[in-house]
Amino acid sequence: MQKEMAYSFPDEVLKHVFSFIQSDKDRNAVSLVCKSWYEIERWCRRKVFIGNCYAVSPRMVIRRFPEVRSIELKGKPHFADFNLVPDGWGGYVLQWIAEMAGAYPWLGEIRLKRMVVTDESLELIAKSFKNFKVLVLFSCEGFSTDGLAAIAASCKNLRELDLRESEVDDLSGHWLAQFPETCTSLVSLNISCLGSDEVSFSALERLVDRCPNLRSLQLNRAVTLDKIANILRRAPQLVDFGTGNYAAELQPDVFSNLAGAFSSCKELKSLSGFWDVVPAYLPALYSICPRLTSLNLSYATIQSPDLIKLVSHCPRLQRLLFLIQVLDYVEDSGLEELASSCKDLQELRVFPSDPFGVEPNVSLTEQGLVAVSLGCPKLQSVLYFCRRMSNAALVTIAQNCPNLTRFRLCIIEPKTPDYLTLDPLDAGFGAIVEHCKDLRRLSLSGLLTDHVFEYIGTYGKKLEMLSVAFAGDSDLGLHHVLSGCESLRKLEIRDCPFGDKALLANAAKLETMRSLWMSSCAVSFGACKLLGQKMPKLNVEVIDETEPPDSRPESYPVDKLYIYKSVAGPRFDMPPFVWSMDEAVKILH
Amino acid sequence: MELQLGLALPPPPLIPIETFDLNSYGNYETREALGSNALSWPLLKLGPADNDINNIHHHNSSSSSSSSSSGGGAGCKKRSFDEAPFFDEKRNVPKTLHLLLWTNQPNDEDDDPSNVLHENSSSAIFKNDGEGLVGWPPVKTWRKKVHHQIPNGGAENNRLPKVENGIGGRASKSTYVKVKMEGVPIARKIDLSVHHSFEGLTNTLMRMFGISDGNPKIFKLTYQDREGDWLLAEDVPWRTFIRSLKCLKLIRSRG
Repeated sequence: MQKEMAYSFPDEVLKHVFSFIQSDKDRNAVSLVCKSWYEIERWCRRKVFIGNCYAVSPRMVIRRFPEVRSIELKGKPHFADFNLVPDGWGGYVLQWIAEMAGAYPWLGEIRLKRMVVTDESLELIAKSFKNFKVLVLFSCEGFSTDGLAAIAASCKNLRELDLRESEVDDLSGHWLAQFPETCTSLVSLNISCLGSDEVSFSALERLVDRCPNLRSLQLNRAVTLDKIANILRRAPQLVDFGTGNYAAELQPDVFSNLAGAFSSCKELKSLSGFWDVVPAYLPALYSICPRLTSLNLSYATIQSPDLIKLVSHCPRLQRLLFLIQVLDYVEDSGLEELASSCKDLQELRVFPSDPFGVEPNVSLTEQGLVAVSLGCPKLQSVLYFCRRMSNAALVTIAQNCPNLTRFRLCIIEPKTPDYLTLDPLDAGFGAIVEHCKDLRRLSLSGLLTDHVFEYIGTYGKKLEMLSVAFAGDSDLGLHHVLSGCESLRKLEIRDCPFGDKALLANAAKLETMRSLWMSSCAVSFGACKLLGQKMPKLNVEVIDETEPPDSRPESYPVDKLYIYKSVAGPRFDMPPFVWSMDEAVKILH
Repeated sequence: MELQLGLALPPPPLIPIETFDLNSYGNYETREALGSNALSWPLLKLGPADNDINNIHHHNSSSSSSSSSSGGGAGCKKRSFDEAPFFDEKRNVPKTLHLLLWTNQPNDEDDDPSNVLHENSSSAIFKNDGEGLVGWPPVKTWRKKVHHQIPNGGAENNRLPKVENGIGGRASKSTYVKVKMEGVPIARKIDLSVHHSFEGLTNTLMRMFGISDGNPKIFKLTYQDREGDWLLAEDVPWRTFIRSLKCLKLIRSRG
């Protein structure tokens, strides 16, 4: 019996249909349908996201997707943010740029996170891509203002230059002046990470002047308050603005100038910056507060009623980052005020003002978060530092906010129990995972036993990222997570008594995840070797800065372990303190 | 049809996730009569945790709690295994690669790496030369820089801190010190930078702790210096006091 495919579309039709499919997940699904769809899809994929730059090699990406215009790469593990990944670990972008320079002449967008970007890489970008539009360096390092000068000078149609949270070597403030007079295309510029001398203000003013489409501008701390009005008057179309230093002696003319400049920005919805904020200048913002949806006050190191008053003027606030500084015995966090004013709040991040200092007399308590959970039912994303918590509070929060997708709680002192009952906080976090059915990201803290992991394994079916520290009793805890969390992609663990058993029993699970980080746990060198030998699709890397892991008995626990799936095999740029457990690679080097 | 699908991974629901082999583990499935996902833990019950699981930890020093977790490890594990409800029996568990059969045997004590962890844990935690935990609390490095530049006299809302060249380079140390009063359980904090004499300091302290002006001689101000010695404040000049003090204590003077 002959089956005829009565309906085979010409490739062009399929290509056109696929062009409407933007999400990576959907594109991946499309590519699985049949061989011809795979072929068509790969030729028309324009955007590639690579969550771990070592999971695949540049050559493999280029071979499969020949016509890419936009690439996003992530390098170091998340715990690098907290100094747990030694310098020199890796995450170099140069080889990627070099290979793409030849293969993707039309590459227009590069977004990097936690990668090492050298001036050489930036110069190569500037030289190689004639249509370069977007450069985002999120939490990157390794480059200087020389590299930025190369980008500014060569990229004629640059739309976005975003250096948020990156570490930049300050060599000269004149790189901004390298933007040619013909460059009028800037839409977004974020230089908030730069230090004192790395920006020429007059060049900045001229740049802002000639870019009518500038929508997002984040200044750095060196820009003083009196200059803000100048900038705003040149760019009243701004939607997202980050001030520099927000401190000055109170002068009526400066104040009114500033207030006037802000009020002329009719589209302004998002504010950040506010270094060294002087409360007397906050009322200058009142005219735009009713429109504000996002407010980042996490650099504002003065807690005051004025700051709280500011928030109460912002009924449409959806996103708030806040620095809490408890000065005296009375806890005046302002979160109660927030809960009553900002009913649309979706994201809240509360940072401690003195996380490493002497423990204050009055702790940051759970009360603020409970108040917000009661008053803000749309809450989806929480990052909250505090010094005490209770199961009762967590249960209340869970019941009030079933829509939580991200919940990160950091109780500052490790292994702190429920302050009311002295119990572990298992039940509280259990309530979170049980009630918040869409929870994708969770960070745990406080005193926790294996039970909390059982709850997580049972209820955390949509959980994609889990961060664990100083928790659990035994391998059973890890086993619950690895065997129960079906959607788990990233797991990062530090200082927990998890050993070999759970890891080896769930070895295959690791192939379905992006990565696993374990530091200061109890995984033996022998187990790492076994994993490396038996699991060819995984890269198993042991990090030890003191001595080679094989100089000790095999049962000895490794210091740090990073396991990730990869089709590229072991990497070639490992520093001396990283050992690959792959059989093909010499362990001693 | 084998496709080179290096970058496209099968979405979990379509292809069974390979989990470990439950066969060796089947003895424990019938222990709890559970056909659904209902846990036997009363999740919303508050109060003391289940007493049959030996998990009451005390908030002590980290070394003692880590010793309790690995020392009691074998015993705890056995019991929690018995008590814990297990997986849905109907769940699809295909054959898979497991490098270690998950059994209920207590750890082989001979080469139990968690014992080694116990030896290491205290040193591991204070790796940072006693300065505290590395990377804890999890605050990004650049935020730490922001926190350490809290300006002097920040407590006073009406006061405008002097701006030096408009560049936020006032990396001053915090000028707050702890003050305890004898008989009062809760300590307070006081900003030393706003005081310039013992008189002013004493007045503030009196106000803070609600001591009436009537009997100023009842309390003596003592301080602990950098070497850990407790001294009477009135015995030293103000400048010496300010430079060397770490914390304050008000004690009742006797006689």
